[in-house]
Amino acid sequence: MNDVTNSKLKKLKQYAFDKDSTLKFIEFLMQKTEVIAPQNKGQASYSYEIVKDAKDVVLDYPRTIQPLKKFFLPPVEDLLAFDLNANTYQEEKIEAKDKIFFGIHNYELEGIKRLDYSFKKGNPESNYLTRREKSMFIGISYEPDSYHFSESVGIPADKIDGFCLFFDKISNKSDYMVFVVDENGQKLIDSFGKVNEVKSKAEITAKKFQNKVKLHYNRIPQVFDHVYKSKVWDKVAERCVGCGTCNLLCATCYCFDVRDEIEINAKDGKRTRFWDGCMLNTFAEVAGGENFREKLNQRTRHRLYRKFKYITDHSGELHCIGCGRCSKYCPADISIVEIINSLIDDYTTQQKKN
Amino acid sequence: METLNVEKKNLYNPVISEILKVESLTATEKRFEIALPKSAMLNHKPGQFVEVSIFGFGEAPISICSSPTRTPTFELTVRKTGRLTDKMHELKAGNALGIRGPFGNGFDIEKFKGKDILYVAGGIGLAPLKSLIDYTIDKRNDFKRIIILYGTKNPAEILFPKEIEEWKKRSDIEFYITVDRPDDKWKGNVGVITTLIPPLELDVENTIVSVVGPPIMYKFVIMSLKGKRIPDENIYLSLERRMKCGVGKCGHCQINGSYVCQEGPVYHYPRCKELEEAI
Ligand SMILES: Cc1cc2nc3c(=O)[nH]c(=O)nc-3n(C[C@H](O)[C@H](O)[C@H](O)COP(=O)(O)OP(=O)(O)OC[C@H]3O[C@@H](n4cnc5c(N)ncnc54)[C@H](O)[C@@H]3O)c2cc1C
Ligand code: SF4
Ligand code: SF4
Ligand code: FES
Repeated sequence: MNDVTNSKLKKLKQYAFDKDSTLKFIEFLMQKTEVIAPQNKGQASYSYEIVKDAKDVVLDYPRTIQPLKKFFLPPVEDLLAFDLNANTYQEEKIEAKDKIFFGIHNYELEGIKRLDYSFKKGNPESNYLTRREKSMFIGISYEPDSYHFSESVGIPADKIDGFCLFFDKISNKSDYMVFVVDENGQKLIDSFGKVNEVKSKAEITAKKFQNKVKLHYNRIPQVFDHVYKSKVWDKVAERCVGCGTCNLLCATCYCFDVRDEIEINAKDGKRTRFWDGCMLNTFAEVAGGENFREKLNQRTRHRLYRKFKYITDHSGELHCIGCGRCSKYCPADISIVEIINSLIDDYTTQQKKN
Repeated sequence: METLNVEKKNLYNPVISEILKVESLTATEKRFEIALPKSAMLNHKPGQFVEVSIFGFGEAPISICSSPTRTPTFELTVRKTGRLTDKMHELKAGNALGIRGPFGNGFDIEKFKGKDILYVAGGIGLAPLKSLIDYTIDKRNDFKRIIILYGTKNPAEILFPKEIEEWKKRSDIEFYITVDRPDDKWKGNVGVITTLIPPLELDVENTIVSVVGPPIMYKFVIMSLKGKRIPDENIYLSLERRMKCGVGKCGHCQINGSYVCQEGPVYHYPRCKELEEAI
């Protein structure tokens, strides 16, 4: 992966944007193509939506409720439309449309990279990959709240590869230093034209994370080699209600269910896929009533192993990006960082004994 | 960012195929002979499965029960147990059906050559195994002994009676059957399938065992095989999990980090020992 490290950052071209030029820039993008950006949705909650008015775009936000995956893997998606009587079908036509995602936090883009991996691996899936084509991402910095822990999973504030531009907030008045990360970003800036290059050696502002994993992220998979039988799973399961919110809102979860639905006319119908989650009771149940992950401790373990071990063994990357959604929206107030830290404690005690 | 430039496929389009023949085997099981359009070959390996699709009723993973040596059509044996399989039981010759696949990993037949082959089938597990049994029978000279152990709950549930009669008649096949609960007419063995294992005389180092049955069966069969001192490397199992896609995406079939629809359903037993959730 083409990592832009801090030493390279100094060589990136930089442009100063104030609030007004940012607004004008969004309007400029909207003339070119569809723009998707965070917007207010009710009180203190945010959602990525297609921008109708540049003024609706929120630049300062902790996180959206749903991750960006909804644009590439919609919560509900028709796979095919069929005719019951004729036994014929038509596959859903998916178009690759130009889109610019504006105001995206860096962990969110990392989430998309993890999904890219999952949908490319083995059998590359056209539904996801076609939607994913022709997307450009413009990043923005954020203030970590008590749920973010991206730095602990290897995504510090200055990880910006994959964006075309990155907006780093440098004052309370919504002034931004904009870093040009790739040639697409440069093209946008050049055709926008209203801003001047700054001969600055500024780096992306470092951030302090309150929420932290106790151990370096390189060593997390190693911990997971030793905690399969940990009591931590039982303790978490005592509080978990198995609602599946943590799966559905996760930036890197992509499991799904497929169902057929028939129209009232009893002739036409659709085969549709839905987001599903391994925390839900029937996820691993088969005919004959056997449920291979019947208990909540088994399901919690499976969810965490999917993030830190199973896929990581192949991809070499953690599949949790530290967005904190699973913890913020958990009705039982279960914190993923607390789970990991308890597992690390377990692991360290084991190591001491040996 | 890493390139998205890969050869991508629509993974979810079924191929509309024709049912050539339907045969009732038991009160709850039927066998279907199916032809792909334009006499296309399925090109499967014994142990693989297809996703069967009926519009409005969904999809289900079903093992291919015929051997690739008997083409161009293929066969499925289906137990009536829910939405899709109930509907499938209503279908007749001439009706259409969607097929995706073949999927998964079949039996590693190369490793079976020149060996004694022991089959252990519980209940409907005989269906997936039949693909391999027929294969080894059709290439009989490639293998030494062929021993088939088959257990069902009661005599009414016995699958493939015609084939079983043939297997019994052949001097180059050793066939043993048992039922858990006999009826008045039953004269054979009574007891669970594991009761058939201890009396066998085996050249254990040169015997390859393939086991397919309900989830509960594996632990006990493995224990009996270990009692016989069959090496772990000689054992293969086919495992069932819930499946929605068959192509390694939906996540339903996972056993720890292994996707059964990709790496399985057939597993080498030493691999199962690495997977805590396997048996
Ligand atoms: C690799 C593999 C090979 C199989 N081979 C055969 C075979 O040769 N013959 C045969 O009769 N059956 C076979 N099965 C089982 C068969 O897939 C299920 O019986 C079938 O999916 C039930 O579908 P349904 O729509 O009729 O039932 P539903 O109405 O969907 O549900 C009935 C029951 O089946 C369970 N179930 C639902 N969907 C699945 C699913 N996708 N996978 C497993 N269980 C599910 C449900 O939890 C429920 O308990 C196989 C399963 C696998 C994984
Ligand atoms: S959101 Fe919380 S309560 Fe719901 S399944 Fe996840 S951990 Fe359990
Ligand atoms: S596991 Fe939780 S913190 Fe990690 S990516 Fe998923 S929702 Fe975000
Ligand atoms: S059946 Fe969907 S991943 Fe295996």
